[in-house]
Amino acid sequence: MIKLKNVHKIYPPDIVGVRGINLHVEPGEFISIVGQSGTGKSTLAKLLFAEERPSKGQIVIGGWDISNIRPREVPLLRRQIGVVFQDFKLLQKKTVFENTAFALEVAGVRPSRIREIVPQVLRIVGLDDKLHRYPLQLSGGERQRAAIARSLVHRPKILVADEPTGNLDAINAREIIDLLKKINSFGTTVVLVTHNREIVNGLRQRVVMLSNGEVASDVEHGRYKLA
Amino acid sequence: MTLIRIIKFAFQNIARNVWLSVITVSMLVMTLLTVNILLTLNVLANTAVESVEERIDVTVYFKDGTNPDLVAGAQASLIGLSQVRDAVRIAPEEALARFRARHEDDEAILSALDEVGENPFSYSLVVSARDASDFPTILSALENPSFAEFIEQKDFEDYEEVIGSISRVTQSVRWLGAVLAAVFLFISILIVINTVRVAIYIYREEISIMRLVGASSAFIRTPFWLEAVIYSLVATFITAGIAYPVLVSLERYADTFFYPANAGVLDFYLANGLLIFGLEFLILAVVNILSASLAMRRYLKV
Repeated sequence: MIKLKNVHKIYPPDIVGVRGINLHVEPGEFISIVGQSGTGKSTLAKLLFAEERPSKGQIVIGGWDISNIRPREVPLLRRQIGVVFQDFKLLQKKTVFENTAFALEVAGVRPSRIREIVPQVLRIVGLDDKLHRYPLQLSGGERQRAAIARSLVHRPKILVADEPTGNLDAINAREIIDLLKKINSFGTTVVLVTHNREIVNGLRQRVVMLSNGEVASDVEHGRYKLA
Repeated sequence: MTLIRIIKFAFQNIARNVWLSVITVSMLVMTLLTVNILLTLNVLANTAVESVEERIDVTVYFKDGTNPDLVAGAQASLIGLSQVRDAVRIAPEEALARFRARHEDDEAILSALDEVGENPFSYSLVVSARDASDFPTILSALENPSFAEFIEQKDFEDYEEVIGSISRVTQSVRWLGAVLAAVFLFISILIVINTVRVAIYIYREEISIMRLVGASSAFIRTPFWLEAVIYSLVATFITAGIAYPVLVSLERYADTFFYPANAGVLDFYLANGLLIFGLEFLILAVVNILSASLAMRRYLKV
């Protein structure tokens, strides 16, 4: 599903984002990318949804080489990869329903189809009773659920979650991770970028640890150990 | 469906920056008004020149007792010239009748005329030129030896100078108007660029999320282009709305000035209004789309 071959990302003049990354993620896998701040976790995530282009190496997503993806092809890629961030990135003036529908609207989906899909997805994330609430009327966990719902409306094969629990308390963080596991159980490949040790250790899934922009370890059913 | 959403986003852009939109449209209206003032001035200047040109004539008085056939020959010879619009022959009787009619209220003149006893008028030709610059040719044609010796007097006013003055003033005002229009257009371009820049700034969060969830570049950019077109359309309608009543009152005033001729400004706009405002809208829309593109190129990274 995801293949990275000797991927480098160097920011001018010579700041290393990631260096020599080799990674192979199977379809339906749940993988955690861990490491301390500044080790290249977020850079790696950005490379996956073409927010950044590699300076060197090859990135293949679902058989599509996106190493030199053209700008006009990026929207097509983004509709195949769901992305979730620590700061939710919800529009404050839109309701939960509208925020979720927004991803479909910009892709030109018919209103009748939107009215069909959005409630289904909001039911999956457990927000079907808060359709008309605004982000400010939601808890942190609920906001992240709304963001996850928005990332799921295109039925992506891959979900990249960059520090999704960074702004949440332990209980809400747990619930979000449970939701990601549930989404993974439907067959979606989940790439979780985090520095939260407890969460990673509780998952008992594959853990890739980055250090100084390089892969320090890659362990099936691993644990996040401090270097 | 995508088009409807793009239109919705464009109107949202305008509504969220309502004051900026008002300023932008006002500036565009100023630009269009300047262009239309220039156009009106052009029509008025043309009417003025035509009106003066129509009055250009030279009256050729023949000596007493000149053979009417010779006068007719001179008339035919002059009409044959391409520079001559018309040459009207006035018989002594007609000249006398006109003179009497013109002075019907002046007892002294009429009694003096009666005192003379006979018709003091001779044959005359009123020659009108097509253009003020044709005068030298007409005057030299009157030197024709076959009838020059029968001419007693040539009477004409130097309209060329009047036309020259009108042209000079008109030309200066046209230049000034063109410079003003260019200045307004330049300011309008800057304002449109700034308006789009502010809209991009206000929309930055929404734009980043649009990009994140897979909106195409065209989907993100088109509302800004559409916004520029809407500004142009609104500005054109407002300008037309202001221009019409102004033209009606201007026409009323100008008609008395040009009487008996018609100033022709309103007629000109009624006949060509659609074309004029249509062209103004098209040019403004193209300029604004280019300005918006410039702003997006600079400030919108998609």
